[in-house]
Formats: sequence, structure tokens, C-alpha cells
Amino acid sequence: MLDTALTWNDLLFLGQGAAMTLAVTAVSVAAGTIMGIIFGVIRFQAGPIWSMPLMFFLDIFRSVPLLIQLVLGNALQSIAKLGWPPFTTSCVVLSLYTAAYCTEIVRGGIASVPVTTRRAGRSLGMTWGQDMRYIVAPLATRVSLPAWIGLTLGVMKDSALVLWLGLIELLRASQILVTRLQEPLFILLICGAIYFIISFPIARLGGYLERRWSPHD
Amino acid sequence: MNKVSVLVFGLMAATALGGAAHADKLDDIIGSGTLRCAVVLDFPPMGSRDADNQPVGFDVDYCNDLAKALGVTAEIVETPFPERIPALMSGRVDVGVASTSDTLERAKTVGMTIPYFAFEMAVTANDKSGVKSFEDMKGKVVGATAGTYEAIALEEQVKAWGEGEFRPYQTQADVFLALSQGQIDATVSTSTVAQANVKSGNFTGLSVVGKAPFDTDYVALFTNREEYGLINYLNLFINQQVRTGRYAELYEKWVGGEAPDLTVGGVYR
Repeated sequence: MLDTALTWNDLLFLGQGAAMTLAVTAVSVAAGTIMGIIFGVIRFQAGPIWSMPLMFFLDIFRSVPLLIQLVLGNALQSIAKLGWPPFTTSCVVLSLYTAAYCTEIVRGGIASVPVTTRRAGRSLGMTWGQDMRYIVAPLATRVSLPAWIGLTLGVMKDSALVLWLGLIELLRASQILVTRLQEPLFILLICGAIYFIISFPIARLGGYLERRWSPHD
Repeated sequence: MNKVSVLVFGLMAATALGGAAHADKLDDIIGSGTLRCAVVLDFPPMGSRDADNQPVGFDVDYCNDLAKALGVTAEIVETPFPERIPALMSGRVDVGVASTSDTLERAKTVGMTIPYFAFEMAVTANDKSGVKSFEDMKGKVVGATAGTYEAIALEEQVKAWGEGEFRPYQTQADVFLALSQGQIDATVSTSTVAQANVKSGNFTGLSVVGKAPFDTDYVALFTNREEYGLINYLNLFINQQVRTGRYAELYEKWVGGEAPDLTVGGVYR
């Protein structure tokens, strides 16, 4: 049998780390998606010129490495004396990071809806809101879903970087165990397995929804 | 505007300004009910984690004592060595209780207290060698971890004595293994390392026989350098820890042996 000093207590500790990873991811993806939808619609409606300031702002979050964003975000909140705990700072930065990517996904989704279909809806007397809700939203969601699932999985793995702000998430929890037990390979193997266990259902859910929403393909 | 309204306005302005004035960090900590300490947790016996992954060690106990004195709860924030000062600067912690040497370079960034702990150099000898003090090492075969401060000092000392032999080793564990096997008669290391190795039970026939007259590494608590109120409090707290015997008690609990003197002769502070 495998000879290890790892105890059930330590697995529980890893579990708590995984819960923190999930919490950060859930908050960031939820907030980031809502912001992404709003920004995406603005981006599409306002056109490339008027949405330039917004795009410039979001491009910062897409181009600067996440680790630097986190460290700078933490320094900013400290300079501004906001007194945010690391969890809040992490969620704010990760949400904006998610929103930056989600905006493009949403914009692409909206752009993929044929203009003719939308015009047909409007000529039937639908308002812009109705057109958005009943025509654009269902079609754009189908197109955007795979990219959004990819983004969610990406953010979950990227959330490991919040350990730099002192949050004990899954990766940090395994590092702590590695320091104490000196069994890096075995512990990181378990850590990887936990990441897989969390990610796999999300990936499968994406696949399931894709199949369900397009039965005739 | 009549005189009364001027007066009222003045009072209101004074109240508003007074309210906006910055309460100092000592008040902030007491007000928040939590003391956040930066502690290094991969540096036993000062800081490490137990089997339940809870922080333990001298620094952890010291932070708990400090929180108790302030009447607040302690929160241990794990910081690796290079992250101690950044964690303070970014407001993640209130105080560093992290075995931080009080260098003048660091004092440009953060406010250092008086020393709360000292890493002394101790002589550990093989019981069969007959070494009972630092001077007894003259003419014997001694060794230490290559490149460390104590190894350099010991090698120079051996040259100055003009007899005996110095052997460098790659790691601290190698030194103690060689010592227990009798390849060397004695070694010099920090007292915490010496006591930890002797107590670990991995090596037999070894004992810590005395102090080496090398420079002591004094370590201090630190906080933001402009927080004089808090630094004053911390200085008094360190003084009280020694006065009440708590310092010796913690030293006995985590290191063992005689607790190092925290004063430097011939100078104030």
C-alpha cells in the first residue's frame, strides 16, 4: 500500500481549499457574466467608436497578466484605504477579468444572430426589448455557451493565483501540506485530481446543454 | 450670517474635521477586535503547522499573547519570508511577528520594536569528544553548513587557533549526522536548530554544550513606521513578556535550554 503521512484531516483541509476555490470562482463568474452581458450589449449597440472607452478599459483586463492585476488591485485597495479583505479584492479583480472576456463572447453571440431574423421580429411589432429577449437571447446563448463554459473553467484554474493575496484555496492548501509533509508529487497529484473532479461536471454540463438546445443538428 | 450661525457652523466644521481625523492603528486594532499577525509558518520552531494544519510555534504563541494583552482575538496570516513586509504595506496584517532581523535597511520601510527574540550561536558536541565549551573546540575537528554565517566565522576561528580542522557540509542535516557518527567533534549553529536536532531523537550522544561568541541575530516585531502609539505598546509588551517570565516559558516550550538575553551591553535601547 502507498506509504504516506497524509491523513483524513489533511484531505479535509484540501477540501476546504477546494471550497474556497469554488466560492471565488462562483462569485467571480456570476458577477463577471452579468457585467459581461451588460457590457456586451452596450458594445454591440453603441458600435465600435462609441464603445471605445469601454473596450480600452476591458482590454486592460484582457492584456495584463492576472497575477499582476491581483497584486496591483490589492495595492490599490490598500492605498485607497478601502480595507477590503483578500476575498473581496480577489473577487473584484477576477470578476472584472471574467467580464472582459465575457463581453467579447456576448458581443460575438449577438453578432451571430442573423440581421434578417431580427428585422423580421421588429417588423412584426416587437420592441427592442422583446427582440432582445425572445429572438437574440435564445440564439446568442446557444452560440456563446461553449466559449462561456471554457471561460468558466479557465477562471476556475486561474483563481489559483489568489493565493498571492493570502487566501488559502486549493493550490495554497496543497502547498501548505507539501511544506509540512515533504511529499510534493503525491499531494499535487491529489490536488490535480480535485481540480478535475470540480471541472469535469461543468464541462459535461456544457456538453449536455449544447446537445439539448440543438436537437436537430 | 449672524454671530450665532457662524459659531454653529464653526462647531459643526470642527466636529466634522475631528471625526475625520485618523484614529491610530492601536485604536483601530482594539476597535476591530482582531489582531492580524504576519507569521512565517515554514520556520520551525518559530512557526509551523501541526498535524491538523493549525499554526503553531513560538511566534504563533507570541501573537496570541499580544492579542490577549490587547483584549482582541488573534488572526495568524501566513506569510513567506519575502512577503512579510509587503503584507504589512498592503494592509493585510497589523503586526509582523515573524522572526524578522532588525536591520537598518528594513527600518527604512517599517517600524521595528526592541528585540523580542534572539538567535544565538550554540555549540553542539559529541559527548565522547570531551568538548564542554566553545574554547574546548580548539584543536578538534569541527564542521558546519557551508556558506552560512556561522560556518564562515568558525572557519576563521579555526585558522586563528592554528590547530584543529574545519570541515564544511552541504546541509544542516549532514552536519548533525557527521557529528553523531563522530566524524567531527563539535559544530556551531543557531540555538533553535541545535536544540531541535538534539531533541528530535534522530541523533544520539549529542548535547548542546554552550554558546559561541559569534554575533547574535536579534529579531523584532514590526508595524508601520509612523505608528508610534502601537510601537510603544509593542515595546512595553515585549518588556512585560520578559519581566513576567512568559518569554522564558515560551522559549522552554519551543526551543529548550537557557533563553537568550535580549539586551546589548554598553548602549541604550
